[in-house]
Amino acid sequence: MKKILIAIVALTTMQITIAQENRGTFSGGFESNSQWYQDDEGLGTIAPQDQLRSNNYFTLRYSYDKFTAGIQYELFAPNPLLGYFEGFKGNGIGTYYLNFKHEGLDITGGHFYDQFGSGLIYRSWEDRQLGIDNSIRGVRINYEFTDYLVATAFTGNQRVGFEVSEGTITGLNAELDLSNALDLETGIQIGASYVNRYQTSTSPDLNFPADVGAYSARADITFSKFFLGAEYVYKEQDAFVLDGFVSNNNYQDGRALLLNTGYATKGLGINATFRAVENMGFYSDREASGNAFLTNTINYVPGYTKQQDYAVSNIYVYAPQPIVSPGEGKAGEIGGQIDVYYTAKKGSTLGGKYGTKFEFNYANWSGLDATFDVTNNTYQASLLSRNEKYFEEASVAVKKRFSRNFSTIFTAVHTEYNTTIIEGSGDFLRGDAFIIDALYKLDGGRSVRMDLQHLSADADRGNWAAATAEYAFSPYLSMYVTDLYNYDETDIHYYSVGGSYTRGRTRVAMNYGRQRGGLVCVGGVCRFVPENTGLTLNISTNF
Amino acid sequence: MKNLLFVTLIFSFAFAKAQTSLPEITLKNLDGKEISLATLSDDKTVVVSLWATWCVPCIRELDTIAEVYEEMQEEINFELVAISVDDSRSTRRVKPAVMGKGWEYTVLLDPNNDVRRHLGNPNVPLTLIIKNGVIVYRHSSFTPGAEDELFDKFKELAG
Repeated sequence: MKKILIAIVALTTMQITIAQENRGTFSGGFESNSQWYQDDEGLGTIAPQDQLRSNNYFTLRYSYDKFTAGIQYELFAPNPLLGYFEGFKGNGIGTYYLNFKHEGLDITGGHFYDQFGSGLIYRSWEDRQLGIDNSIRGVRINYEFTDYLVATAFTGNQRVGFEVSEGTITGLNAELDLSNALDLETGIQIGASYVNRYQTSTSPDLNFPADVGAYSARADITFSKFFLGAEYVYKEQDAFVLDGFVSNNNYQDGRALLLNTGYATKGLGINATFRAVENMGFYSDREASGNAFLTNTINYVPGYTKQQDYAVSNIYVYAPQPIVSPGEGKAGEIGGQIDVYYTAKKGSTLGGKYGTKFEFNYANWSGLDATFDVTNNTYQASLLSRNEKYFEEASVAVKKRFSRNFSTIFTAVHTEYNTTIIEGSGDFLRGDAFIIDALYKLDGGRSVRMDLQHLSADADRGNWAAATAEYAFSPYLSMYVTDLYNYDETDIHYYSVGGSYTRGRTRVAMNYGRQRGGLVCVGGVCRFVPENTGLTLNISTNF
Repeated sequence: MKNLLFVTLIFSFAFAKAQTSLPEITLKNLDGKEISLATLSDDKTVVVSLWATWCVPCIRELDTIAEVYEEMQEEINFELVAISVDDSRSTRRVKPAVMGKGWEYTVLLDPNNDVRRHLGNPNVPLTLIIKNGVIVYRHSSFTPGAEDELFDKFKELAG
């Protein structure tokens, strides 16, 4: 309450100052995601105790000369939406900051977001769909020494719901652009980072790690049409944690290697990524290791697979496995993916009159080859080893335009999914999905889109079919109806109907229907959402 | 409830006064060179499109505009800067995707979504027209036909 009052007074003062001097600029936004949950006999689900739930975010930013101040007020009432971290319950100032920028200097006090390298050692970010905000509250300084050397230093505690982490995180990062420094044709950037988590020891053991440091080094090279990148991270020994229980004499270190290479020229682009990780869970509170809501995560280990675009190809999605769990036989993962983008030219056999676009992706992930001592919760593994298959997927999408007004996308996906590893239990699943998506443009900004989807799978709930029809009345207003049907086992229709209106700064969307339970993944990070039915309203506006 | 009322009041006041510009952030282009956002629209009007490789309507929008890009460049000085909000999971897919599709846009990378956050975490695609550093038009989502509207708006605002 006090905090809010202070904030209001501060903002009002700022407003008055501006009104008088007419300087500085405001910007901000409001987003509201609400759902009214219903009992659903067909699904066998009962609405939660608070049937109407709403997640709301108000952000306000004010810039004046070299200063920027920002604040985010959040309201989760009476409870956050299903599947969100319960630490968000209630309301309050979620984040606030004051930033000063002058020439090469950039200083922030308060909450900030940043990442070092690919994020494998450190990334703080916000994703409202996933309910993640692991910004760090503290001080961050970034300084550009020259046009080829930039360094960052920060220290602070991580946001967890409306609290901050017990552990303190400190980070250092330096990036050197050798091509600028030496005036080279070839692009060469190198970087190095150190990130430390300090949390008071809870053990009588003098060797118990209160400080856990992680080091990383990386390099990116671009020569004409080729590019190549490498990153290695080593994390010092941290206490082993199982279900929130911290071990007193079992300390394990972790490491990760990320390689990326590709070739890109007009009409053809290829990218290949390889990554191996061993024990790379890195948390601002050791007791939070492996928690389901992804709170306290310091580093970012996304699933390097393709984010699929349709309902049937989003049921069996890979969730990355960076954490050690001897009981489940997990010590990390190894694998990679290849992407190819190709455009067949206009007038060629494949290209036809308008050109045809092809997208191909192949991803393969396995566990590390490790031996486990389940009694003592220890393991022996090599980072560059492969054992049990966790996930494999091959997909192709062909985008073809037939006339000025008519275009289609054809997608095929073959998935192999280790249900036990990814979800905890279940049979190994193989599935094949086929999707056809057709778009017809009418005049006056109107259009019709339809898709038909099918997935045949040999385990879990078997085969699925889905269809969508969408009609746009104008570039501003559209409506859709969709159904995902598990006709093989459960005979359940996950139907949904809705529409959205967007104009300038504002977007309003409403829909009613059933949400399939399971992993909802955004950006390769997954959150579990229970099955539910209800009316959803999303409002967002920016200014 | 009272708090909410206060906050709403403050926000509506700010809303009325808002005049948004692009943040003073530098982003890397596909060759790793730093480009300053603040100087993008120096003395000219540009379209900025926030997109991602995993966003179907975004790709539709940029593919559609790409078909007539050269024409529009000549006719109305149309210029588009595509800022990818792909995070580190998919940011390495951006260069092959852009080249593979043969897009001629200036492409910048915003892997930790600094620009997106500055703009209030909008859904992508988000299309902006920037004139002398100030956002003068804003549209999110893409359905076929929206590109014609964008060209018209651009003509009107740039002229």
